[in-house]
Amino acid sequence: MKRWHWIALGLIAAVSFLTEFLTPHNPGHTEHWWNAIPGFYALFGFIGCVAIIVLSKWIGKLLLQRREEYYE
Amino acid sequence: MSEFLLLPPAIPMIVGGFLLPFLPKRMRSGAFLLFPLYSLLIVWTLPEGTHAIVPFLQFELVLISADKLSRLFGIIFCLTALTGGVYAYHLDDRAQQGAALIYGGSALGVTFAGDLLTLFIFWEIMAISSTYLVWAQRTVESEKSGLRYLLVHLFGGSALLAGILLHLQTSGSLAIGQLASDTAPSSMLMLVGVGLNAAIPPLHAWLSDAYPRATVTGAVFMSAFTTKSAVYLLARMFPGGEILTLLGVIMALYGVVYAVLANDIREILAYHIISQVGYMVAGVGIGTELALNGTAAHAYSHILYKSLLFMGAGAVLHTTGKSKLTELGGLARAMPLTLWLYMIGAFSISGFPFFNGFISKSMVVSAAGEAHIEWAYLLLTLASVGTFLHTGLKLPYFTWFGESRGLQPSPVPINMHIGMAVVAFFCTMYGIAPGLLYEFLPFDVAYEPYTISHLVEATQILLFTFVAFWMLRGKLAGEPLIALDTDWFYRRPAALSRRLIVTTTDRLFSFVEEKALKLAHSLAHAARNPLNLFRFSTSAPLEDYDPDKERWPLGVFVGAVLACIVIFAGLSLFR
Repeated sequence: MKRWHWIALGLIAAVSFLTEFLTPHNPGHTEHWWNAIPGFYALFGFIGCVAIIVLSKWIGKLLLQRREEYYE
Repeated sequence: MSEFLLLPPAIPMIVGGFLLPFLPKRMRSGAFLLFPLYSLLIVWTLPEGTHAIVPFLQFELVLISADKLSRLFGIIFCLTALTGGVYAYHLDDRAQQGAALIYGGSALGVTFAGDLLTLFIFWEIMAISSTYLVWAQRTVESEKSGLRYLLVHLFGGSALLAGILLHLQTSGSLAIGQLASDTAPSSMLMLVGVGLNAAIPPLHAWLSDAYPRATVTGAVFMSAFTTKSAVYLLARMFPGGEILTLLGVIMALYGVVYAVLANDIREILAYHIISQVGYMVAGVGIGTELALNGTAAHAYSHILYKSLLFMGAGAVLHTTGKSKLTELGGLARAMPLTLWLYMIGAFSISGFPFFNGFISKSMVVSAAGEAHIEWAYLLLTLASVGTFLHTGLKLPYFTWFGESRGLQPSPVPINMHIGMAVVAFFCTMYGIAPGLLYEFLPFDVAYEPYTISHLVEATQILLFTFVAFWMLRGKLAGEPLIALDTDWFYRRPAALSRRLIVTTTDRLFSFVEEKALKLAHSLAHAARNPLNLFRFSTSAPLEDYDPDKERWPLGVFVGAVLACIVIFAGLSLFR
């Protein structure tokens, strides 16, 4: 990841936040409680991703993972 | 409509599958493409309604039943057989090429079956022909895995048949349609049979077991037909079955968890089939028109991008001989075109705007929102985070980037890239012009995927998933381990049951056999020489009866006669 990659991603993020705050919610889009939280989907993506990695690895270590020759 | 085009769509491909092995090598791959093309022509022009009704015993088999839903699935099945055929053009394996065609044809047979018996027949052909695509890899692993695959599917098939017969007995009808009751024993049995093919946990383990071990080209076909024909049947028979919403959401997340743990690239993709089919199953469970449209659209999109992803992973395996993240890395410079075509599939499955996953996945998720099933909305969105994380980030990062392991891949056959490019074209085409897909959906529902809120939602989720991935990517490197799944329940006790049923019985039989032979042996000897029965020395060799040898000396008889005379004489003296 080069510096300009991060700058580009930052710009896209900025545009998405701006769009979110400047446009009223699409009336066709059903209202849910989480739509009241600003930047909810950014948080959801970040926390969700971390949670998936950490929880899955934890379950794997705790219960599921075995050496490759386990069934032989 | 001419009779020529009123053939059941399955027929050209199945007949083609049996003809193909007899063609010479230079014609075979080209001819392979003609059969799905012919089937596609039939599917395209088939008038709605039922045709080709054949009497069988006291039943009537309806070989063709066409409506919007079956046509949609039919088109994508033919299209995938076609692009898969291009991808497999370099192949020189009669049986495998034939099996792939028969497999695709039987999936069409299931799709257009107008009654449950016809459906069952094609269902079983599908199981058997697809097994060969695993076996054709010709490794010890694939041989064992293929056998497990076959046995599990035969179990599912039996459950389906039992359900069908019970249903016939109670309702007197073989028609395929929404079942009157989801909880009747016949419905439950059919759900087990169909759910097994849809890879609904805990009946899913055959998929992640067999697909990574199938042939490079076989896995492309397998990723399309089995699970999606089952989704089609679920949509036909169980729309609005509430349990399916829950099962679908569980599936979507189940695949995500296991994809974190998987090391084999095709296993990661296999677990993401389970995850993606979860959206479709949930859509069936939600059961509104929008949701069922979403299920159909997502099945269509999924077949395209998933076959593209399997093609990309297959190209890596084909050219390097490796498929484990722990053995791959740094291939971007050597195979840039494969990487980019794969990434189009990855963008599609991850739901990037302007790719076809976005226009179909969002339908199912929106349907959950409109039906006010908020937990399903959030959990399905979470699963899409996981999808991008694995298929879009982890897999390509550790395969094409990351640490180089000095692999020297052979050049990718040009036909593989052409096959991928065609599918990649469709993935983008439907993403940019969703109307091309929407007009074929079963219900007329207006749905606009490109709203500002949808775009904002997708952008933020994808962007911040990437940020989290980049921070934690060190944790995600492949590990040379396997993760236990529900196949444990039949693979682990297999040794025990083998000991119980095979080894023990074997031993018992050989024990009895040995004893019986010994007995017969000694009886034979006893018959030849009864005197041997009185011989106590076991070391002396047994001899046949020889009258000269065994005859007592004459003196014994003379002595005995004399003794008798003496005894009788003595007795008479004392009277």
